[in-house]
Amino acid sequence: MPMRPGASASGGASLLAAFRVVFVGGVISFRALFNWLNPYIYVPTMLIAPVFQILLFAYVGRSAGVADDGFYVIGNAVQYASIPCLFAMANTIAGERFTQTLGIVLSTPVNRVALFVGRSLPVVANGWFVAMVALFVGGRVLGVDLPLRVWPGIALCVVVASASCTGLGLLQASIALRVRSTAVLSNIVFGVLLVFCGTNVALDALPAWMAGVGRVLPLTHAIEGARRVAGGAGLGEVAGLLAREAALGVAFTVAGLLALRYVEGQSRRHATLELQ
Amino acid sequence: MSILEARELRRSFATTTGVLRRRTDPVEAVRGVSFHIDRGEVFGLLGPNGAGKTTTIKMLITLLLPTSGSATILGHDVVAEPRAVRRRIGYVFGGDRGLYERLSALDNLRYFAELYAVPAREQAARIGELLEMVGLAGRERERVEGFSRGMRQRLHIARGLLHDPELLFLDEPSIGIDPVGARELRQTISGLREQGKTILLTTHYMFEADELCDRIAVITRGELVATGTPAELKARVSAGSVLEVEVFDGLGDRLSVVEALPGVRSATVTTGETSQTLVVSIDAGADVTGATLDALHGIRVGRVVSRQPTLEDAYVELVGS
Ligand SMILES: Nc1ncnc2c1ncn2[C@@H]1O[C@H](COP(=O)(O)OP(=O)(O)OP(=O)(O)O)[C@@H](O)[C@H]1O
Ligand SMILES: [Mg+2]
Repeated sequence: MPMRPGASASGGASLLAAFRVVFVGGVISFRALFNWLNPYIYVPTMLIAPVFQILLFAYVGRSAGVADDGFYVIGNAVQYASIPCLFAMANTIAGERFTQTLGIVLSTPVNRVALFVGRSLPVVANGWFVAMVALFVGGRVLGVDLPLRVWPGIALCVVVASASCTGLGLLQASIALRVRSTAVLSNIVFGVLLVFCGTNVALDALPAWMAGVGRVLPLTHAIEGARRVAGGAGLGEVAGLLAREAALGVAFTVAGLLALRYVEGQSRRHATLELQ
Repeated sequence: MSILEARELRRSFATTTGVLRRRTDPVEAVRGVSFHIDRGEVFGLLGPNGAGKTTTIKMLITLLLPTSGSATILGHDVVAEPRAVRRRIGYVFGGDRGLYERLSALDNLRYFAELYAVPAREQAARIGELLEMVGLAGRERERVEGFSRGMRQRLHIARGLLHDPELLFLDEPSIGIDPVGARELRQTISGLREQGKTILLTTHYMFEADELCDRIAVITRGELVATGTPAELKARVSAGSVLEVEVFDGLGDRLSVVEALPGVRSATVTTGETSQTLVVSIDAGADVTGATLDALHGIRVGRVVSRQPTLEDAYVELVGS
């Protein structure tokens, strides 16, 4: 066995190793830890449930006569990305407590940023997929016709939404790791996003403080952007919204990574994580 | 040359009791432990439950910071240079947890190969070699959730060796493994020693420690009470020999009578399935067989054996007091 990786890893080799942790490791850990990757759970919670949410609010909207069906289809489909983003992120990080692998993972030299960013990429992809399916199916059921040419723009808005929401998921996962519960927090954050992000009630119609909170949460700007694209706006017109959404995503991701670093440091000092 | 140096390691934990009136009491789990491990050595850390073995290991593998004291592994400080230390060590604990159940054995190994930065082109060969070594070749595509305890344990060991670490920490690797599996595990560990690996091993099985370890440290209540080769420990504690008497009735107050006999260092009773065994540790040169049997007069006695002390005898004396 004539090798000793890591010990002699040059800068280039360790960069390559970090890339592999992000892209190869990320996918393996998603398969390992995301408990819902089973058709009997995945299809009902990820593909069917969002349609109910869309229908509920669309019919409430119809009977109240506030907005057209398209408003609700887009709002709820994009907002539903938060279910996979929040829950899967909590699963793939705090779930290590149930497999009791956290101690082993933290005893490896892996670059923590690469480790956690890698774990979030499949979550982003999955969130995007869930929202796009919800949009398509929900639109079909309600007879909302989105012309073919607006789909690429909407798809881009959903990528940004899913990524920024996963950033919030990362922050939330660091807390879940510490407080030993994954689902409770995700449910609360989901509820907050449902109310504050202009999903069903436009920000202008919310009390000022709630609208203010909505503007610093993920999803709000992406939902707004997707609605405008669906209404015929060009990508240039929503670039500002998407940039703000992306900036929030980066901010939450950085906060999440710092929080995870803090949690690991605290655990080394005070044994606050159960590391087998 | 020392691969590992631990100097006066200490670690206390704050434990909280009570729900309303919370009180925090510090528990001193490790209280000033110093030892060193030389290259190529198998070093045993033995001690009763709660003695501080796992806590000591966690400080060495950088999962816990010492409250005070320091340790270096291959010249790297475990507090100041955790990444350098992590690259050079492997960590395996016993029991059937600590694996990704829904992944195959192969994917478990692949994942950790990435975390240990094993270069992509070397991974397949390395993983194949290790699967062969731990006897899991051919089963690697099965999900771990269907693995037996022994298979999981062997997979753990393969995982700990992926990056070819110089120093391997094995925390109770043989816990819950059947005798045949445990024997195979000992062979695996011997094989690693022959390859020149340095190993820190904890176990509650004394014959295992006797067979595998070059040197042993005994820890109780957070402090080392003895360090030496198995032979030195046996010689140092029980200078004499051991008399074992199988008895079929209750001993009552006879135990204290035997203990009081001249030449007797200590007497203990272990309970078996159909009988009890009186284990009498004797001073060098003394012969207490007759006197002991006299003391047991009227009690049904079975086999009587006089033998050399084992590591277990030494251990029981060391931690017993
Ligand atoms: N995270 C923790 N918080 C509080 N106390 C702890 C913690 N970890 C360990 N201890 C205490 O430290 C002491 C040593 O525990 P440790 O796990 O090191 O023992 P051990 O020698 O490995 O025992 P065993 O043979 O049972 O594995 C015990 O009293 C234990 O209760
Ligand atoms: Mg232990």
